[in-house]
Amino acid sequence: MDFYLGLAQVIGVHTLLGLSAWCVLHTGQVSLAQGGFFAIGAYAAGMLTVMAGWPLPWALAVGSLVSAAVAVAVGFPALRVKGLMLVVATTAFAEIVRLVFFNFKWRVQGPDGPVGPDGGLGFGGIRYFQSNGWTAWDVLALIWSLVAGVMLVLWWLDRSRIGTLWRAVGEDEVAAQSAGVDLTAAKVSAFGIGGAIAGLSGGLFSHTTTHIEHSNFTILLATFAIAYPILGGLKSLAGTVLAVVFIQGVLIEGLRFLGDWRSLLFGALIVVVMLVRPGGMLSSPLWQPSASRRAASRPKGAVDTKARHA
Amino acid sequence: MNATDLVDLVQSVVDGVMFGTTYALIGIGFTLIFGVMHKINLSYAAASVGAAYLSLILVKVAPTPLVYLAAALLGGVLGALIYYVCFRFLPLDKPLATLMSTVGMLLLLEEIIVHATDGMPQNYPAMFTGAVWDVGPFMIRGDLMFVFVLGCIAMVGLRLLLTHTRLGLATRAVAQQPVAARLCGMSVDRTNASTFVIAGLLGGTAGAMTGAAIGMLSPLLTLPLTVKGLVVTVIGGLGSVPGAIVAGLLVGGLENFFQFVRGVGERDIYVMALLFAFLVFRPGGLFAAPGGRD
Amino acid sequence: MPKLALTSAIALAAALACGSAAAQERTVKIYGFGAKSGVVRIFGLNSEAAMKAAAEQVNKAGGVTLGDGTKARIVIEYYDDRCNAEEGINVMRRIAAQPDAFVAIGPTCSNVAEPVFGILQKKAGDASDSGLQFPLYTDVAAKGGLASISQWSFRNVPNESAMYKSLFEWIKATRPDIKTVWGGVEKDFAHSNATFNAMKGHAEKTGFEVKGQSEWLLADTSFATQVREMRRGEADLVMVSAHPFTTCGVLKEMQRQGVKPKMLVGLTSSSSLETLQGCAAQAEGILIPTSFAPVNPDAKRAADLVGAAGASMDLHNAAAWENVFTLKEQIERAKIMARPDTIQEDRRKMREALASMRETTGLLGKVVRTDDREADKPFLFVRAEKGAWTVAHTPK
Repeated sequence: MDFYLGLAQVIGVHTLLGLSAWCVLHTGQVSLAQGGFFAIGAYAAGMLTVMAGWPLPWALAVGSLVSAAVAVAVGFPALRVKGLMLVVATTAFAEIVRLVFFNFKWRVQGPDGPVGPDGGLGFGGIRYFQSNGWTAWDVLALIWSLVAGVMLVLWWLDRSRIGTLWRAVGEDEVAAQSAGVDLTAAKVSAFGIGGAIAGLSGGLFSHTTTHIEHSNFTILLATFAIAYPILGGLKSLAGTVLAVVFIQGVLIEGLRFLGDWRSLLFGALIVVVMLVRPGGMLSSPLWQPSASRRAASRPKGAVDTKARHA
Repeated sequence: MNATDLVDLVQSVVDGVMFGTTYALIGIGFTLIFGVMHKINLSYAAASVGAAYLSLILVKVAPTPLVYLAAALLGGVLGALIYYVCFRFLPLDKPLATLMSTVGMLLLLEEIIVHATDGMPQNYPAMFTGAVWDVGPFMIRGDLMFVFVLGCIAMVGLRLLLTHTRLGLATRAVAQQPVAARLCGMSVDRTNASTFVIAGLLGGTAGAMTGAAIGMLSPLLTLPLTVKGLVVTVIGGLGSVPGAIVAGLLVGGLENFFQFVRGVGERDIYVMALLFAFLVFRPGGLFAAPGGRD
Repeated sequence: MPKLALTSAIALAAALACGSAAAQERTVKIYGFGAKSGVVRIFGLNSEAAMKAAAEQVNKAGGVTLGDGTKARIVIEYYDDRCNAEEGINVMRRIAAQPDAFVAIGPTCSNVAEPVFGILQKKAGDASDSGLQFPLYTDVAAKGGLASISQWSFRNVPNESAMYKSLFEWIKATRPDIKTVWGGVEKDFAHSNATFNAMKGHAEKTGFEVKGQSEWLLADTSFATQVREMRRGEADLVMVSAHPFTTCGVLKEMQRQGVKPKMLVGLTSSSSLETLQGCAAQAEGILIPTSFAPVNPDAKRAADLVGAAGASMDLHNAAAWENVFTLKEQIERAKIMARPDTIQEDRRKMREALASMRETTGLLGKVVRTDDREADKPFLFVRAEKGAWTVAHTPK
């Protein structure tokens, strides 16, 4: 039972990471920076509970805010570029974050010896859950209530004017700009909110794994972050959850009976899913019937240039 | 900084520039595919390293130049394979789908390499390993020089291909105006496939050259090469082959410069920060692509 | 009446027969986990092979005696954690959820071990700590001091600090011509980074002058700058704390630039087949302390058996082999019952047995258990000679 609870916890944390990427992808940008915000939230929340003795909710909140602040700061210059260049810019940012933490050393004296980030050796002893007697159910409840909360907020945002602006920017920037939409505000707000969510999931991550180090936050993690919404289908939040369950639950844990073939099938099955459902697993919109009336042949999206009139 | 340090610094940068040929080759591959299809093939570096691994089959029976040739050819084969699996059957208006399918392919290729070799590094034949030229206080590595020269030949070959053959013409036409190209009777599908094959040939060469420069192949190479390739592509300007070449050499040299000055822990921070600054102030890259608007 | 007696007798006999047949088929599961994917795949493969080979030997010798006197076969079940912290924790929880699991050997990656130990209960019996209560006996993950994280974690990995101390003292005593040292370290891998600090510290304490150090990263491909620094340093001894890929890269570059120190010292993990396969020529003469070499009949036999299974034995999976035999002894000593209804009790008993061990049997001799649940393993120094590892010196 504990195993399934633990797996559900991992799925929850990764869902939040996927949702943070969903936000940004929704405005038509491919950002590989979510891993960087994840790292910032992880270290910040961990440092607050371990080194400053803060209670978890406050630590998570501050971690999330710090990530959001960094996201907005990075967003302004980064979002001036589009497409492949944004992919690379965000990759560069994420690598910078990882390397900063690789060099980051800040140790204080704790009750059992020195604690705190120790550069390349990582940051261990983040045992808030265990020391305070949280059971697996408690942690699960925390993670999934946060997931539900975030999904609610995103759903509400999507239905509100902000969501309309995001979608407009995502589908056709030129048209949106012509209609008077402030592109920068839309993109940076999506980036900032995505950063906050990623920071939150990072804080949860550092507490569920108790030890974090720079090698947890590589480009591969960022790729997983965008994989979830892309595989799940950008139109719906539930798609992201489904994709996380698919990757973490089925591909990673469920296929264990295949032994050595499991890691080989991982990449292969992702290719297959994209071939079979290129729009994502839940690519039909859940609450946007008007979307089917959109012209499907017009080239759009993250890595393409503006509509080419050739 | 005294004279010895200065000499060492220049030497480091020179070494870096020569090693940067491999980055340039990978960057060209990325940029070619992007220029023609406006899609990124994230599995490109993995396929390049994979082609080099495959060429190891010939190591015991063929002389080294043939091994390199085999790597290039196998790279072309892998390129075509990736085109057909990850790109051909995916709708054009969903670039994210191809992005993800190439990610899946990257993971698959890397795992295949790991399973075939149990993750252990494999020796790769190098030429002119012992040769060293002493130019004053500087030492130029023979094998790096060879890699550099071979890389240059590959780039010249590519340029000739693009400018003097029908295939090259078709590639450039589809890159600039895909609809008009189709109206002129060019098969976009065949052109795309050929682009992948050409990029694959280059990639296989790059993989072989990387292996030759280090003396070994390891699955550790794939991810860093992917990132560097993307960095080079962007700095050079999307879709611009000369840009990728210059950017590759630049990144190679700068990497070593930063490492010399600030050490290995911060080296990549500076490279990435430089890239970031580049993107903010000169998003078109060094040479903006002809007719491109990115 | 006689018919009833006869039927009952037959039924009783059948029940007894079934009972004893079931008893003959009793199995005890020892779980293992480690990295079987990714660059470090060889560690998981080797550990699994060593564990299975050791279990086979135990079973051939009659198996393990359980608390109720019955004999049981040891069965190994190995999981792949892909050297990933979250996956390692998932695997740990999966193992702990099995009704037949009361001990596990693993993991292989230090960056998995630290988080996994972190989710275990810190102090055994602490009711306020909701950490997992499951004993773990690690074979490979060697980053210093990890077992102190939890009283449920135990390790059988070499004490690298002691090994390098002894190595430098021996070098000092036997090679008076060596006075200066230059270091080389792979900075972004926890194990090589941490061990380098120990190497450097002991070199200095022994009286060598550490003139400087060169640094590189795990996936680096060019070492020209670092080796050039080394060349300028002109030290008598070069110590390289890195894994085979970059160690070979550095050694090849050293050959290229003509850097020939009087002596080379390497990282424990590099005393394996990988280094010899990658750069036997350049690694000629490198001196590495190790806790395994096939220098006595037991060690040779173990190496042969693991070799027959398609793997190779080195200091890492030698610990896995030793662990299986140690666990067999401790299972018997703690009178483990290995039944689903006793499994929680078995885990507790296993932990207490592991905690109260004073020494265990290693392939090179007796291994002393320390108070912080680590091991003090006998070691020797090997040198790469003509493509093979030969024993250079066995310290007393």
